[in-house]
Amino acid sequence: MFAAENGLRGDPRLQAISRAIRVVPDFPKPGIMFQDITTLLLDHKAFKDTVDIFVDRYRDMDISVVAGVEARGFMFGPAIALAIGAKFVPLRKPRKLPGEVISESYVLEYGTDCLEMHVGAVEPGERAIVIDDLVATGGTLSAAIKLLERVGAEVVECACVIGLPEVKDRRRIRGKPLYILVEPRLLDECR
Amino acid sequence: MQQALQKLASLSAPPPPIIEARGRTRLPPPRCFSTAADRRRRFANRELSLSSWMATSFERSNGAKKGAEAARDQHMESDGGPDPRLAKIASSIRVIPDFPKPGIMFQDITTLLLDPEAFKDTIDLFVERYREKNISVVAGVEARGFIFGPPIALAIGAKFVPMRKPNKLPGEVISEEYSLEYGTDTMEMHVGAVQPGDRALVVDDLIATGGTLCAAIKLLERVGANVVECACMIELPELKGRDRLGNKPLFVLVSSDI
Repeated sequence: MFAAENGLRGDPRLQAISRAIRVVPDFPKPGIMFQDITTLLLDHKAFKDTVDIFVDRYRDMDISVVAGVEARGFMFGPAIALAIGAKFVPLRKPRKLPGEVISESYVLEYGTDCLEMHVGAVEPGERAIVIDDLVATGGTLSAAIKLLERVGAEVVECACVIGLPEVKDRRRIRGKPLYILVEPRLLDECR
Repeated sequence: MQQALQKLASLSAPPPPIIEARGRTRLPPPRCFSTAADRRRRFANRELSLSSWMATSFERSNGAKKGAEAARDQHMESDGGPDPRLAKIASSIRVIPDFPKPGIMFQDITTLLLDPEAFKDTIDLFVERYREKNISVVAGVEARGFIFGPPIALAIGAKFVPMRKPNKLPGEVISEEYSLEYGTDTMEMHVGAVQPGDRALVVDDLIATGGTLCAAIKLLERVGANVVECACMIELPELKGRDRLGNKPLFVLVSSDI
């Protein structure tokens, strides 16, 4: 599940990627240590390495769809899609996609939210990966998997830069494998 | 691929709830849009005359430069005419009528993203233009600027800086307010992301009135960056966004009159 267990143990790129991520305490609310990937995007080499690691993994897996979750999945997904020759399909919050959509709701800590995908973007039988910056409870990724499966795609794997402890012992989400580059940083490490 | 695109084009969306269009002022429709039939006819005839668009576009953005000289400068034209990749890019963009509200012909770039060759060509056209220009920052406007900006940044060795709606960026931010048709919106950028003297590009999928791009330019200039150019897939010239950018150059791939 973690890249280090999947053949990248000791890979110096992973350390540099982890160090490039900034922790912002108490965002969006007290008690949450927010893993900020915008600092990774400022480090050209670390950003490129992040994309390269995913590209190396997926380029020979016959992936035809990279589905990215709004909005931070949009920062990683398209570069991966371009490099492996796949379509990029944005999965968006409600009422952002202009054409006909299918929707999947999912549970938040308080209330629910909804993910949408354009009808016709993905064909039955396509092999897809889902990309987001971070996986916490897996609720968003579950909704993404459901959307893709509803149109007959096969979700091969979910790929995230960061995986929170909640998923550490769950190697799968809705039966689909997870591939994660790094664990969350602790605030003390950044100081 | 063609089948998929045709299928997409044939689907009609039910009118969604009205939402505020980001920075896009809806002006009264031009005279030629007096009826729905006119709009459909314009849509059917939207195959652009690329070389005529390019000539006028370059004249406007390059002041004294002649059209042909400016065209060569913009790397869009070799001796033969417009770049052959542009036609495919233009035809892979889908137009959705009456989204997000009646009267607006929404330029949907998600269909371009479904065509790996057209998407790659789009990025290549920008990379070819900017790779030798010492750009250190690519600033992408939420959310469709996040799709095009990072691949460009990665290819030219620049940082990618997201310009976001309020309360999304977790760290300390600076904010810039800008006008919408009704009311205002705010754009934010992280403090410290951009340094004085950084040479910056602003990337978004489309320029309409130019309000969003102006806000992005202001944020970057407030921290001392030099905004070299704004780069978009699509321009809606009737909304005069290019003029609103003033002396900031604008580079677009496709111009749409609808």
